Amino acid sequence: MELLILNGIVNGLIVGGIYALVGVSLTLLYGVLRVVNFAHGEFVIAGSFFAYVLFTSLNVPPLLALPVAAISFFAAGWGLYYVLIPRLSRSDDPELMSFLMFYGVSITAAALMLLLFEADSRSIDYSFTPISIQVGPIYVSTARLVALAITAVISAGLALFLFRTLPGKALRAAIMNPEAIQIVGVDIVRLSAFAFALATALAGVTGVLVALVFPAFNAFSGTEYTIIAFIVVVLGGLGNPVGALVAGVLFGLAEQMATVFLPQALAQIVGFAILVGTIFLRPSGLFGTSTKK
Amino acid sequence: MTDPTQQVPAAMELVEVDVAYHGDIRILRGLSLKVRPGMITGVIGPNGAGKSTALRALYGLLKPVAGDVLIDGKKVTGLPPWKFIDHGIALVPQHRSLFNELSVDDNLRLACWSFRRDRARVEAAVERAYAQFPMLRDKRRDMAGSMSGGQQRFLELGRSLALQPRVLLLDEPTAMIAPRISAEIYEFIAGLPAQGITVLLVDQNVRQCVRISGHLYVLELGQNKVDGAASDFQKDSGLRDLIAEWVDYRIDA
Repeated sequence: MELLILNGIVNGLIVGGIYALVGVSLTLLYGVLRVVNFAHGEFVIAGSFFAYVLFTSLNVPPLLALPVAAISFFAAGWGLYYVLIPRLSRSDDPELMSFLMFYGVSITAAALMLLLFEADSRSIDYSFTPISIQVGPIYVSTARLVALAITAVISAGLALFLFRTLPGKALRAAIMNPEAIQIVGVDIVRLSAFAFALATALAGVTGVLVALVFPAFNAFSGTEYTIIAFIVVVLGGLGNPVGALVAGVLFGLAEQMATVFLPQALAQIVGFAILVGTIFLRPSGLFGTSTKK
Repeated sequence: MTDPTQQVPAAMELVEVDVAYHGDIRILRGLSLKVRPGMITGVIGPNGAGKSTALRALYGLLKPVAGDVLIDGKKVTGLPPWKFIDHGIALVPQHRSLFNELSVDDNLRLACWSFRRDRARVEAAVERAYAQFPMLRDKRRDMAGSMSGGQQRFLELGRSLALQPRVLLLDEPTAMIAPRISAEIYEFIAGLPAQGITVLLVDQNVRQCVRISGHLYVLELGQNKVDGAASDFQKDSGLRDLIAEWVDYRIDA
């Protein structure tokens, strides 16, 4: 039993790290742009396919795919922002229209991946040596431990950026007071484009890690990650990046522990129970101090 | 087009501006207004007259459906709000414009965004704010949101003035502020023209606004009801009655 629990904790941290990254990128995007990206999960899976293509056709190992994905997805996000958002802000009700638009992007992205990679589940046939490492009394796959280390580094880097650099503070300031950030001379259009690009880059990188941690993915996996991202964002408080990081790890732990203690069918609903519970009990999230106007 | 008899152009100007919310609810209807250089221009009027809307239209936060915004006589209609700092124009809006969960120091540094790479200039600007309001220096590591309403207002003023603007636009600077602090804020504003700063003051506090302004506008229903030198308002009993009628306040002769 102790072994199962220990296993649950280690896996919870690994999976939670991924959830944290999915959540933090979605919450940044919402915080700065006030739009809800339903296509976020598809962006993540696009990252997985990106690593898959690099590996199968160019023999690029996943670790090397990470920086390539970061740069490519950042550029793609930057471009996508200028394609999508100016049209959105011309509508009468941008926030409402954003739901429709990103739902459309989500369907389009999933269909595109289906077209390119068909409906079969894919996995990257890459293994580290040794294949697994002993952690105390249990063995954990090296790929998963590497993924955990990378999520930790990315999270720490992101926190440093947001709390220690002026552009990072400007991003947080835009979340706190979107009008005041313009008054102090920050070009909100460029800042939003940067936030969109950063969130997309994080999604792409997370996708590469998904390919390392989870056995397989397919063109339809995106929705799953979008839902997880929503749970994490709500749990951590809308627009609260640190909250999302912590909530992601907590959610990963809860999910993995549920598989230890609960029958498998029940474990599935833990995520939704957490989401509904949070909305009822703490609508501003576990760490929601609220984003005042 | 230049008229040789014309005086120095207004620092800022609205020319027959219409602003509408939700398509067709007109808040401003052909409003013209000049911010005269070197003095305080006051804007008063009853609630809903469009005072704040006029100021937001001036600063690019609202786009006019008709009419123009001018800076020094040049058309800048549609200029986004973040460009005004470059023209030497700063705004302190009615609602809090601070970043509550950033420190006082970070709030000041963020305001230096447009010249953030010029470190000496940034340090000088931050230092200027601390010199102007020494209280801020003691609080520099505190979260802006943790300070009192008056202290937050001083931070907003210090933050704007640190950028050495030519023109400062103020929207109800003493709303929700304790009376003792209010008086202090009005003394401070009254001293700005002497430092070479042109001021546009939109205010509900008619008494103070009339007292420190050089030129006054009375708005009503999104239009310029009457305007003139503040001294005329105090001399002319007809104007005094008009103000009493429009804004429910009687100016003493």
